[in-house]
Amino acid sequence: MTQFFQQLINGLSIGSVYAMMAVGYSLVYSIMNFSNFAHGGVIMLGAYFGFFSMTLIKLPFAAAFGLAAVGTAALAVLIERIAYKPLRDRKAPFLYFIISAMGASIFLENIVIATIGPTFRTYPQVFSRTPISIGGLSIGRLDLIMFGVSALCLVALVLFIERTKTGKAIRAASYNMKAAALMGVDTDRVVMTVFAIGGLLAGVAGVFFGMKYTVYPQIGNITLKSFVAAVFGGLGSLPGAVLGSVILGTLETFVAGYLSSQFRDLIAFVILIGVLVFRPTGIMGKPSEDKA
Amino acid sequence: MNAILDVKNLTKRFGGLAAVSDVSFSVREGGIIGLIGPNGAGKTTIFNLITGVYKVTEGEVLFAGAPITDLEPFRIADRGVTRTFQNIRLFKNLTVFENVLTACHLSAKYSIPEAILRLPRFRREEKAIREKARDLLDIVGLADRSDVTADNLPYGLQRRLEIVRALALDPKLLLLDEPAAGMNPDETEQLMRLIDDIRERFKLSVLVIEHHMDLVMRLCEQIIVLNFGIKLAEGSPNDIRNDAKVVEAYLGPGGEE
Amino acid sequence: MDTYIQGIIMLAGINLMAVLGLSLLTGFTGLFSFGHAGFMAIGAYSAAIVTSLLKLPFVFGIAASGVMAGVVALLIGKLTLKLKGDYFCIATLGFGEAIRLILDNFQGLGGSRGWPGIPAYTSIWNIVIVDILGVIFLANLVRSRHGRNMIAVREEELAAQVAGIDVVKYKTLALVISAVYAGVAGAFLGHYMTFIQPKMFALIKSTELTIIVIFGGLGSISGSVLGAIVLTFLPEMLRAVDKWRLVAYGAAVILIMITRPRGLMGGVELTPSGIRKVLAEHRAKRKANAERSAQ
Repeated sequence: MTQFFQQLINGLSIGSVYAMMAVGYSLVYSIMNFSNFAHGGVIMLGAYFGFFSMTLIKLPFAAAFGLAAVGTAALAVLIERIAYKPLRDRKAPFLYFIISAMGASIFLENIVIATIGPTFRTYPQVFSRTPISIGGLSIGRLDLIMFGVSALCLVALVLFIERTKTGKAIRAASYNMKAAALMGVDTDRVVMTVFAIGGLLAGVAGVFFGMKYTVYPQIGNITLKSFVAAVFGGLGSLPGAVLGSVILGTLETFVAGYLSSQFRDLIAFVILIGVLVFRPTGIMGKPSEDKA
Repeated sequence: MNAILDVKNLTKRFGGLAAVSDVSFSVREGGIIGLIGPNGAGKTTIFNLITGVYKVTEGEVLFAGAPITDLEPFRIADRGVTRTFQNIRLFKNLTVFENVLTACHLSAKYSIPEAILRLPRFRREEKAIREKARDLLDIVGLADRSDVTADNLPYGLQRRLEIVRALALDPKLLLLDEPAAGMNPDETEQLMRLIDDIRERFKLSVLVIEHHMDLVMRLCEQIIVLNFGIKLAEGSPNDIRNDAKVVEAYLGPGGEE
Repeated sequence: MDTYIQGIIMLAGINLMAVLGLSLLTGFTGLFSFGHAGFMAIGAYSAAIVTSLLKLPFVFGIAASGVMAGVVALLIGKLTLKLKGDYFCIATLGFGEAIRLILDNFQGLGGSRGWPGIPAYTSIWNIVIVDILGVIFLANLVRSRHGRNMIAVREEELAAQVAGIDVVKYKTLALVISAVYAGVAGAFLGHYMTFIQPKMFALIKSTELTIIVIFGGLGSISGSVLGAIVLTFLPEMLRAVDKWRLVAYGAAVILIMITRPRGLMGGVELTPSGIRKVLAEHRAKRKANAERSAQ
């Protein structure tokens, strides 16, 4: 039983990091209707930003965090300006966006390989590795902090979207971009805001990911799993993205713990195909009927 | 009576909202019927229901006596019901000829291996449908534009091409969704002549949605008026013109044209 | 001939085979796949089983690779082709990754360490012959009612349906045929490298194939041929800057999407009739412009 709860806590912790990444995929999907595969690259660079802030510039942990988040936010907006804006202006079909996103993703991964190199790098130790024990369970300090910060970020995001004027504009645009534009919403600004938010969270998630595992150029491929989580929850739905991530994180940890760690990555893609076949709109997505 | 199309108690709800409720009418073989009504009255929805683009919530559609209610759109087309779209949907990057040739596919039966290996049946049938496509373009006067990309055609001719593409299926019933939209009076006049001509030549029955009252009144033998998804009136052009309910729905109480 | 050059020619021929298949799916039918490396993997492993384990001749290996990839594609198609375009695209991505991870964990076929000692059956001659057949079959297919139906699906799905085209059937057909091409390419790849490893069939390989198709031009077979040759030779010639190759790829993809999304040869074939069509189009445009300015 103790092992069960132990796994559950580990699962929730990694699930919450997935959630921060998945929200980025879902936010973009909700207003632009395409899967932004460049997001993985942004997360990867977040891990590097944090790493170099701490090792090269020797910034304290919190400052490195902030720098990484701001850096990835700027990067995400930059990618939007270069790779998607011209397509938006031309009203190109969504597939062009996906291809452009794939291009950006390849570009980011390989420019890191070409300049920084393909080696694995380990974050300096920030939190003591001795776990905290609560009621017979030993919980890693990093896991606890990951869960706490992620939860905080997600709550902040919800408040932002529910309570602020910009948040309202985002919701309007996600409901119907054209109508929102007619109602005087500056859709260009909404798009930039969405990419900035996705980028911010990607930075935080990237740093955590790097701290928990290691930093290397292909992190982006692992973060594809958070995309799977977003699909699982229902692309475009924020609560769906969070729920999907938490379920995926937990399931993965249980599979690794009880079956074999080799199947850990496989489970995500099996879920993906299962969801697409049986319920393509995910847990919380809404079905649609094409208008003629 | 020989009804080619029988629509019985047709209802379509989106969520809780009824876009079409309990609409019934029929089209006789060789007949031409107009479907009119204000925007949002459910006219295009009825087209989408007949052609299988939308799933019917309640009711039934019979074509030549057989139900086609739950068939997929391509099967309904195969039976002989086809349509044009309000916002023209051509194969934009293909030439005029290719647009029509593609739609001729039901007239050929050769298989993929026969096509890949260029076997005799492929050659024979391909030659026949190419001839058919050319003949159709001749009939509607688009032959000299055969090699123009559909997207580069003038608007009026795009509508005309959409009609020929539909004819390539050898339909028995043709649904025209606002065929005269955006046309000048001259083009509208030509369109009316075209519709008359093809009705006779191909023994077509036609159901047409149109806002040009002039066109509907002159072309149609029977008119159905929809408002808020409900059938408001049905009758000959003369009846409709003098129907108080219709005048009110269209022009508002005491309105003038 | 220099064995190095021979090697590149074979590699280009193998890429071309996979690209031809993807060209049918993406260029002509308008469906994007990020899982075609998965079909290549199925082909490579099926062929290796036939030649390496069963000790049968290469032809049987090629046949097995095509059949297996086609059967799996049929299954995938049945499950996912009713989905809207972007979800299909995501499903292929999941499929490709799942195949790779399954092979990674299947120790019977070498697992993630790979499978060495596959006979070197691939030669310039057999790959060139298969490529030529591949081009002819594809060209004949797209110029038949079946190919036109696929193109109609790409152009305007709803209109295709009301024109009596069974959209799901033709999407499935395009997927299966393209998977057969990819499977055969996988068989040749395995018997060229004499070693296969799941890593060779990762997402990046699928993306690379899609990039070649786009680079060559959607809806153009000659574009695909050109794209496969150029994009195999160019990086090999520029070995010194190899690590910048994919950086340039990524940048080029974005550039193509935002400037010339139909690729080099978009929709145009390098054949006498293809060139005539372009000229006719050009004349028609000039005529239309002249008419407009005369009014």
